[in-house]
Amino acid sequence: MRRLLLMLLALLALCALALMRGQLALSPLQLWQGLSGAEGPAHLVLAVIRGPRVAAALGTGAALGLSGMLFQTLFRNPLAAPDLMGFTSGAGLAIVLAMTLGLGLPVPLVAALGGLIAAALVLLLAWKPGQALAPLVLVLVGLGVGFLTQAASSFLMTALPPEQAADAQRWLTGSLNARNWGHVALLAAGLAVLGLLALSQIRRLEALDLGEELAAGLGLHPGRARIAIAVTGVLLAALAVSVAGPLPFVALMAGPLGARLLGRTALAPRMAAAALTGAMIVVAADLLARATIPGLSLPAGVVTGLLGAPYLLWRLSREMKKGEL
Amino acid sequence: MLETRDLTLGYDRRPVLERLSLQIPEGRVTAILGPNGCGKSTLLKALARLSAPQAGAVLLAGEPLGQYDSRALARRLAILPQSPVAPEGITVRDLVRRGRIPWRGLLGPWRDSDEAACREALAAVALEDLATRPLAALSGGQRQRAWIALVLAQTPRHLLLDEPTTFLDLVHQIEVLRLLQRLNRDRGLTVVSVLHDLSLAARFSDHLILLGPDGLVAEGAPSAVLTPDTLHAAFGLSALVHPDPVSGTPMVIPC
Amino acid sequence: MRLLLLGAGLVAIMLLAMLAGARGIAPADLAALLGHYDPTDPAQITLLEIRLPRLVAGLIAGAALGVAGMVMQAVTRNPLADPGLLGVNAGAAFSLLLGATLLGRGDAASLSLLTLPGAGLAALAVFSLGGGLAGDAGPVRLTLAGVALNAFLLSLVSLLVLLRRESLDVFRFWVAGSLAEAGQRPLTGLALLALCGIVLALLLAPRLEALSLGGALARGLGTHPGRVLAGALLAVTLCTGAAVAVAGPIAFLGLVVPPLARRIMGTEMRGGLIAAALLGAGLLLLADIAGRLLIPPGEIRAGVMTALLGGPVFLWIARRLRPGEGA
Repeated sequence: MRRLLLMLLALLALCALALMRGQLALSPLQLWQGLSGAEGPAHLVLAVIRGPRVAAALGTGAALGLSGMLFQTLFRNPLAAPDLMGFTSGAGLAIVLAMTLGLGLPVPLVAALGGLIAAALVLLLAWKPGQALAPLVLVLVGLGVGFLTQAASSFLMTALPPEQAADAQRWLTGSLNARNWGHVALLAAGLAVLGLLALSQIRRLEALDLGEELAAGLGLHPGRARIAIAVTGVLLAALAVSVAGPLPFVALMAGPLGARLLGRTALAPRMAAAALTGAMIVVAADLLARATIPGLSLPAGVVTGLLGAPYLLWRLSREMKKGEL
Repeated sequence: MLETRDLTLGYDRRPVLERLSLQIPEGRVTAILGPNGCGKSTLLKALARLSAPQAGAVLLAGEPLGQYDSRALARRLAILPQSPVAPEGITVRDLVRRGRIPWRGLLGPWRDSDEAACREALAAVALEDLATRPLAALSGGQRQRAWIALVLAQTPRHLLLDEPTTFLDLVHQIEVLRLLQRLNRDRGLTVVSVLHDLSLAARFSDHLILLGPDGLVAEGAPSAVLTPDTLHAAFGLSALVHPDPVSGTPMVIPC
Repeated sequence: MRLLLLGAGLVAIMLLAMLAGARGIAPADLAALLGHYDPTDPAQITLLEIRLPRLVAGLIAGAALGVAGMVMQAVTRNPLADPGLLGVNAGAAFSLLLGATLLGRGDAASLSLLTLPGAGLAALAVFSLGGGLAGDAGPVRLTLAGVALNAFLLSLVSLLVLLRRESLDVFRFWVAGSLAEAGQRPLTGLALLALCGIVLALLLAPRLEALSLGGALARGLGTHPGRVLAGALLAVTLCTGAAVAVAGPIAFLGLVVPPLARRIMGTEMRGGLIAAALLGAGLLLLADIAGRLLIPPGEIRAGVMTALLGGPVFLWIARRLRPGEGA
């Protein structure tokens, strides 16, 4: 519990820093005044620009972290994250497709549909009758589906008019630019529902962790439990994508890093740790993206890409030493 | 003549074999025997220059192997490692053709001599009829014969094989050992292989090298090398040795 | 014989590449247009100024990437190896962009050479990260290492493009290449560069065959695995560097071409490499033609078309590999 509290404090400090930094730097005092509602430029910046932006970063990170942790536990493989397995790019493709066709559907719905279709496609292609699903096959097939959906997204973007294409491009890289309180409300509502769903799956996950046969012996229907967990995970990822685009590698990093920071193995605290770590990663990445180079605001996805790729390489070399690859 | 002079082999600082001086008899079939971890394969690899000696040297025709150009060496001495990798979907003929790599220059056109060597190698292992089949479609014994054809296509005078009978059933083991013996009798090839089965080795070899945990135990003709004393020294095994009723070669009976 | 057929197919595609497009040219007019020079004829301008450079660029980049893919798959024994997927393309693009940012806009020829260090380093990095230098990289490990390296380098590329405040078109070019700007590239020099890489690969072909039998047998056959690897790395670097300088990072061509080449030519490496060059050039030109015809008057970049083709091929190979399952 103490470590979780420490992580929460670290996250709060990070958020405060993120709120203070930017084109108009605020002092801690100004931050306090702005937050407590005193009228002035600080309040305006916080209420209209940085507040929703940081809050959106928090929510997206938490959703991605939770989603990654669910899949990694479900498949018992640290590489089984929704971004590596192509689910987030599936959600991204669906959004670009809706843009191109001019469909007026709500973005989260479209993203959820895209994510679910991509996940179903990955499972279908990786599945072979009479054989258990090997996580590595899943990851490899997921990569393939990811490549395909990314190619389809680029293809569709060619058909969009230039301004819209630029929009879609920024969006597909993953960015928290110009998020508003509407996005934050969506995230909060989605996280509340899906977070509860995830929590309710803990007992099932624990049973599945003991192996398929034992889980069945404990009175669980392994197939159904898996589907319920996977759907929750995909919906969490899609929620994040519908607000910030497919930020690469956050879901991959958050679970294992959170577990390491936490130093314990019980599932419920690990879930919380994954969500907190995911939030920390995205808030930090967004802060780096807009405050490192003066006068230039990068998409946050570029930063998570730069952070996540070395992590993946390190992870690979570790998995290899354990002889699992 | 292939020989070792004061050869010391090993990984890191721990020598597996020390100051070993051996002569591999020219034009004969030699088997290297011994318990696991005694350095059989290490010795074979050193004989083929796959591993460098810590001290001493391996000589071929009086010259240290290190002096040979690697392609020139590959034309005189071929080695079949224990688990070579088969490229996916390769046919027997394409596999055997790769044995001509040391004979082809940088531009390496395919010459008649290359074709002839491959044809002869395939004939020697009796796989002409299966030449166009994919390697993966062959039985275990046929596959091993295809690999032997690859090293035969190098047209070497010395043929080294690392456990050529492992993973084969008894019938295929005998098939491979007969083949090696025939290659020796018909073409005068010097054959050196690492083997596990003592009685089979005695039956199909002219010369045995028996290694133990502390290095060389005995070498020479099978009947001289395989005795209750040497077996005890090499394997810590108490066994009787009787002449094989068919061939008269020593047969090991553990007791 | 099979190579002749492939060559004939490529010639047919080349003719198609000259005729097809937003402004169609009748086959009958082609000889006349190529025969005499008339700078005022719009058809001739289209042909000479736009389509011919594009055709040449497609030949260079396609052949080079086909050969690079073939060499990478042979060396890593991984059917998922591709200069695009494993980050070699991105490395080349990054070092070209970095050089252009630091040095300013120099002349095109010397800037093109800047692709080489990046391609070389990325190839070296992905081989060693993925265990390819020891020759024992599992397909998943090498592919994931490549994906990570690729993502990292592409993030750097986006960073540079954003820093330089380039347009969306420039950005897209560096994400998935295209033949559209072929006219601005030093094609002759780059053709020579690619040719060096291809010839080197052809010279190495028998050694690569030996290497694919495993390190021990390769050495028994008188080859030096280290030297062969170094040569292969150089060939991949030259080919990929030239291809990226001509057409930007075009992915998946090196993935799609080798299995086709092997299906046509068997496991013989030299024939396979020539087939890969012909197939690569043909496929890239076809992708370019399709991209020009699909949504006129707009066009889809060749790199997007190859990626659309490559995704399913990747899935098909991945499904057959089934890593991590018991033998």
